[in-house]
Amino acid sequence: MKILGILMASAVAAFAAGDVVLIQNADVYPINSAPIKGISLLIQDGKILDMGAKIVAPKGAMVLDVKGLRVYPGMIDSATDLGLEEIESIRESVDTGEIGDFMPQLRALSAVNPDSEHFGVVRVNGITGAVTFPSLGGRGGTGGQLISGQAALLHTDGWTWEEMEINRSVAMCLNFPSAGGRGGRGGGGGMPADMQDMLPGAVGAAGNAQRAVLDQIAKLNTFFDDARKYQKAKAAHLPGFHPDLKFDAMIPVLEGKMPLAVSAARANTIHDAIAWAEKQNVKIVILQPREIAKAGPELKAKNIPVILGRVLALPDNEDAEYDQAFTQPFEAYKAGVKFALGTFTNEFVRDLPYQAATAVAYGLPHDEALKALTINPAEIWGAGDKLGSVEKGKYADLLITDGDPMDVRTQIRHLFINGKEITLSNKQVRLYERYSGRQ
Amino acid sequence: MKKLLLSAFLVLCASAVAEVPSTVAIRNAKIVTVSGAVIAKGTVIIRGGLIDAVGENVAVPADAWVVDGEGMTVYPGLIDGLSTVGIAGAAPAAAAAGGGRGGRGTPATPATPTAPAAQAAPAERSWGPEDRPQTTSWLLAADEIQAGDRRVETVRGAGFTTAVTFPTRGIFGGQGSIIDLVSGEKAAEMILVPAAGQYIAMGRGGGFGGGGGGGGGFPSSLMGIIAYVRQVYLDADHYRLVKEAYAKDPRGMQRPEYDRALEGVLASKRILLPANRLVEIDRMLRFGAELKQPMILYGARDAYLPEAADLLKKANATVLLSLKWPTAPVRSPDAEDTDTLRMLEQRDKAPTAPAVLQKAGIKYALYADGLDAPRDFQRAVKKAIDNGLSREDALRALTLSPAEIYGVADRVGSIEKGKIANLVLTKGDIFDDRTTVVMVFVDGKKYTPAETAAPGGRGGASTDDPGPGGNR
Amino acid sequence: MKKTLLAVLVTLGPLCAETIVIQNATVMTVGSKGTFKGSVVVKDGKIAEVGEKVMVPAGATVIDAGGQYLIPGIIDCHSHIAGDGGINEGSVSVSSMVNIRDIINPDDIAIYRALAGGVTTANILHGSANAIGGMTLPLKMRWGKSAQEMIFAGATPGIKFALGENPKRSGNPQGGRGTAVPVARYPATRMGVEDVIREAFNDAKGYKAEWDAYDALVARGEHPLAPRVDLKLQALKEVLENKRYVHVHCYRADEILMMIRVADDVGFKVRTFQHVLEGYKVAKEIAAHGAGASTFSDWWAYKIEAIDAIPFNATLMMKKGIVVSLNSDDAELMRHLNTEAGKAMKYGGATETEALAMVTLNPAKQLGIDKTVGSIEVGKDADLVLYDGFPLSDFAKVQKVLIDGTVYFDRDKELVAQAAKEAEKKRLIDKEKASQQRTQPVRRPNQ
Repeated sequence: MKILGILMASAVAAFAAGDVVLIQNADVYPINSAPIKGISLLIQDGKILDMGAKIVAPKGAMVLDVKGLRVYPGMIDSATDLGLEEIESIRESVDTGEIGDFMPQLRALSAVNPDSEHFGVVRVNGITGAVTFPSLGGRGGTGGQLISGQAALLHTDGWTWEEMEINRSVAMCLNFPSAGGRGGRGGGGGMPADMQDMLPGAVGAAGNAQRAVLDQIAKLNTFFDDARKYQKAKAAHLPGFHPDLKFDAMIPVLEGKMPLAVSAARANTIHDAIAWAEKQNVKIVILQPREIAKAGPELKAKNIPVILGRVLALPDNEDAEYDQAFTQPFEAYKAGVKFALGTFTNEFVRDLPYQAATAVAYGLPHDEALKALTINPAEIWGAGDKLGSVEKGKYADLLITDGDPMDVRTQIRHLFINGKEITLSNKQVRLYERYSGRQ
Repeated sequence: MKKLLLSAFLVLCASAVAEVPSTVAIRNAKIVTVSGAVIAKGTVIIRGGLIDAVGENVAVPADAWVVDGEGMTVYPGLIDGLSTVGIAGAAPAAAAAGGGRGGRGTPATPATPTAPAAQAAPAERSWGPEDRPQTTSWLLAADEIQAGDRRVETVRGAGFTTAVTFPTRGIFGGQGSIIDLVSGEKAAEMILVPAAGQYIAMGRGGGFGGGGGGGGGFPSSLMGIIAYVRQVYLDADHYRLVKEAYAKDPRGMQRPEYDRALEGVLASKRILLPANRLVEIDRMLRFGAELKQPMILYGARDAYLPEAADLLKKANATVLLSLKWPTAPVRSPDAEDTDTLRMLEQRDKAPTAPAVLQKAGIKYALYADGLDAPRDFQRAVKKAIDNGLSREDALRALTLSPAEIYGVADRVGSIEKGKIANLVLTKGDIFDDRTTVVMVFVDGKKYTPAETAAPGGRGGASTDDPGPGGNR
Repeated sequence: MKKTLLAVLVTLGPLCAETIVIQNATVMTVGSKGTFKGSVVVKDGKIAEVGEKVMVPAGATVIDAGGQYLIPGIIDCHSHIAGDGGINEGSVSVSSMVNIRDIINPDDIAIYRALAGGVTTANILHGSANAIGGMTLPLKMRWGKSAQEMIFAGATPGIKFALGENPKRSGNPQGGRGTAVPVARYPATRMGVEDVIREAFNDAKGYKAEWDAYDALVARGEHPLAPRVDLKLQALKEVLENKRYVHVHCYRADEILMMIRVADDVGFKVRTFQHVLEGYKVAKEIAAHGAGASTFSDWWAYKIEAIDAIPFNATLMMKKGIVVSLNSDDAELMRHLNTEAGKAMKYGGATETEALAMVTLNPAKQLGIDKTVGSIEVGKDADLVLYDGFPLSDFAKVQKVLIDGTVYFDRDKELVAQAAKEAEKKRLIDKEKASQQRTQPVRRPNQ
């Protein structure tokens, strides 16, 4: 009996989703309202059931006193390969970047490996939600896809991808054709220089790049035209109608229910993408824009949100300001553009809050940085009613910290995902513990 | 009557076929001697391939063919101080030094090693300096010259009568030879000086990598090339000492193994090192000093920078300055990218380099760097003139200065009695792009240029310069 | 009015070394004075005085750094910036004849960017394509100066070794991504990597014996014929003579241990293990050998040998008695090594000073330059970085960077310089357009 008790106490994730947790004496930073000190939070069935000054613990509830600690909503990385890529240089462990120019029917979610070590690594740093893309440019696969499939919004914890799912199809991914390729994707990172020297070079933009761009846009238009014809044919219930999985997948896009997540770095490309989307009458979210100062007014006017790429990235060219990437969030804020942050790899997901802090150092108001990690991505990805803030009825994806989560000195003391307390361990912690003990 | 006859002949014979009158007198022409004062109206007598007399009042010999130079100017034949003319199939020489700008920070740097332009034909993979990779230091251009190279005719049309032509493949290409641009049956007729110095190229290291890629083996990076050249000179030194010791007393001594690569290096009395960017100028000045070889820097695009001129002056350097000025890349009109400030400045300022070198008192000559077509060449020189170089200095930098650099000013480079009769007759200033070259004398043989190519046409293959900015 | 790029940058760039007093700063010395609020006096390029209260020398420039933090210049023990024409001579498995010193490119903009990130010294390493790579050296980030002027005077030069995937992949036609090498280059396994190193030192010892014999004869007044200078073996001879530091790129514990044993057998010391992501597994052995460890804070999973990387590596090795530094190996990461150090506080609980030492004093020790740089001490080089906030957090940004007492980066001036740069660019573009229109008149239709 005693042994059983010890086992239970040491068991990972002691409370299942159905359990009730009362968090007391919390300094809550709800994000969408001012911080409130010393209140209680009641969690049940994975959701925040109640929050207030005095909540009596229901019978059987686990009570967690967090006096002196802060409660924040979990952070969301708006662009990752999480679950689809384990080791960048090992193709067999990478499931991004399928073959084929138009692959809207592909879903990132169902290829997510819940046991990827990356989930353990990122969630202990407070990343409780992530958008996983089927291709962030095809480093894993063929690259050059136009439509690469559907991105999924997920919790970074769960037994299966179904349990991790928040929304399996938050966006259709479109790599908008541009002369500079995906130019402006920040340098640095990806892998250390010692590895990069082993790679064959990227092919530079050819002289007739412009023509290639027009060709690709034409292809894209044809695909959309065909999808529309299909949509009509389907609605008309014509005899002899034959279902097509690709075009079926496009219908939510055509209906404006699912945005296109459009990779477009340079201001001209962004402008072209916006004009194109208007013509096609589809909703878009811009990924990794680089020239926000230039593109900002139009993005603001058209109410188009953006997912900013890594803040810690190199300038686009020799003449660009050294802090060009550091200031992009501030530029977006000044322009009134709605934005969230994405790391666009797996390697830097856990550093997402520090990237946000860099943006603060270079002008972004502190609160806006927090929003870019929480409520903004939730809203951009159509889940503003479910997560992104500490509010009644929302998912209990919560960080309990001893300080500002964007400060590198801050430690996370407790972590809840989907109402479940998550053990603050992972493969790396286990190795640390094991080898700390080596005499 | 004679004049008329000659004119008729001119028209009929606009070709490479040389006429060989034994004695020629050019009368009533303006004579730009370069070495001395300009003669407003005078006569030049050519006899036996040499300049027999020059002056205002020179008697015309009775046996002379007379050219009425009224309204024409006589110049010494131009000398291209670094060329590949005469070597069939050779790409024009280029100062492709250095390579990727390192600093992988700059995006879109192609990491793939560009096959070095000057790479030797696929050979055994090299595993180190001992394999003497990309080395043909023993070659003499004189032995490679083909009399029938059409480029001889083309560049003569721009007024060149002499070229220092080099085998340029690999790292140690071989020795250049000074040749007179005659069109003859035998290449041997062309050779003025068979061994004029060793041409060294630094290829283009490949971006970050070089890696093991390419399969060309060692060396695959700029630092590999530099280390290789350094090792070769160390080896040459050692080889010489061992050979001397053996010659003195071979008894009991291992016979030194014959090494043609080192023989070629030891036979070269000067080396040509590539340097375009400021950092390369700095680097190669130091390297040349370390190698203890008399050297000429070629390329020198950044010589317009005051820092570069200072370095060159301090090192008492000799420079061959390329006339191939950096140009803007072709872009689609709505391209967002502009060139970097560095490139823009280069394009703006590079043509001031001759004037800067001139003013700083640095020993230099200009070379055509593959601008074979007369119009392109003239335009390039004109650009230097527009950017502060005097016409006199421009002319000297293409005549007497290269002759001095190569130690042949006693025979070519100016219009003086006793020198080789290499002359250019023009209507108009030689570097105006409306000027026509009326006739050219090489070794006293008269040539009449064919109709020049349409303006803008590029003669010969263009050089393999890294392009505008030259940084990629 | 010269309007060259350099002129623009120089006029706005480094001021001459002068007497400077930085006042009211929180000074994190990483040295004997710990962290305190006070001043630092810089004179003739050196730190002249450090204290809570100092006398302001006559004519000194005073920088009021109220609310700001002053730290020693950051030192990156592993960088590949500022090179020309490739930093890997990967064609051979021993490329010790090549030298980074020959290809320094002072115009690499990455130098300026690193400087703007507080880096004042960087160890520029050869790549990792071969078991024994090229010769290396530390540079000071004296932007605007020539290649020679960037060299860290008096620093012991180094050589790069590499173990594991990179050197074996370069040799294996089947291995790696797309790097098809037509002719296989030995080695293709970790066994072979060890052998290459042993063979090279076997040769180097023979070479050294030959030269030692020659030197002995010369010392006796004889005039023998000198042996051939072999640049490849010369570098290894210098290693055997303790004149050249060995920096070993490595990942896995097994190969780290192998390297230690090879060095023990051959008779040299590994100065630093680089990357050393599994260093925590063999920390005891590294400490016993006396090598330093220079690692990433939290970079991992980019390849199979990086799979057991842990962000606690730095602190764990530190606690086992190893001098640990955090490096970048990357022109971007290099710009925020201060916050990489901050992660050592988060992962494993390093103190502020311990963490900061990992990017200042510790790399200085590893490079043997800690007598002149690495901490704020009287007599050391005035390599200083001023931050507008706590420098180990990402909320802080660099305001000023001094090297040898000269201000090489000043954020306020940077903003002005940027505007000047843009204006100059526009002027040149317009000028070029105008001249193009002049020389190539628009063709009009036939009339």
